[in-house]
Amino acid sequence: MTVRIRFFARFRELLGTDIIVDAPKGKVLSDLVKDVASKNKEGYDAIFDEKGTFREFVILMQNGKRVETTAAAMTRVADGDEIAVFPPVAGG
Amino acid sequence: MIAIQKEDIDIGKLINEAKKRGTGAIVVFDGIVRDDDIREMELEAYEEVAVPELEKIASEAKKTYNLLSVDIIHRIGSLAVGENILVIVVGAGHRKEAYEGSRFIIEAIKAGVPIWKKELRKDGDCWVPGEHQHGCGHKS
Repeated sequence: MTVRIRFFARFRELLGTDIIVDAPKGKVLSDLVKDVASKNKEGYDAIFDEKGTFREFVILMQNGKRVETTAAAMTRVADGDEIAVFPPVAGG
Repeated sequence: MIAIQKEDIDIGKLINEAKKRGTGAIVVFDGIVRDDDIREMELEAYEEVAVPELEKIASEAKKTYNLLSVDIIHRIGSLAVGENILVIVVGAGHRKEAYEGSRFIIEAIKAGVPIWKKELRKDGDCWVPGEHQHGCGHKS
């Protein structure tokens, strides 16, 4: 199945954006982001701590809806999903 | 009007269009690129989520503060010192609702709308950290 991952702000600079991933059925959100982030150590370290846990400030969205990082290991992705990964917002 | 755009904002036009028969007060918030020893500022947004979020904030503000009109226009792209970043135009029957509604909108935007700012500084670039100290420099 095909899933689109979009990184923003600092994460985008380190990992790119609009990444299309061919993921196996049943893949969970945390593993998907880990796989993609692993391509760049600095990018991985910006998102995950030394234990491989999402850093507390990381925000995840699945199809525009927020997913708590603590729930990402139990959240399956589906074909056609758009996953967004970004640091805290700073508009205004 | 709710929008995220690269182009500058015609504030005078927004004020004129906000005037309705019952309007007694219009409050304009204009967020500007401040000269914090920066060359310029770059802004990016997750537009597919940010625009609906702005619409939701506007709708909530209208309902809560009995506003007659709300315009929110946030810019993205490269902005120089002194340029407009964000313009909020709020119209209401009275000043109290207009001021309170405007304040509610700006705080809600800062708290949750997926937009980011990067300062291109003379001593190195840095992402404005927002409410969390994940980047460098000062809070937005």
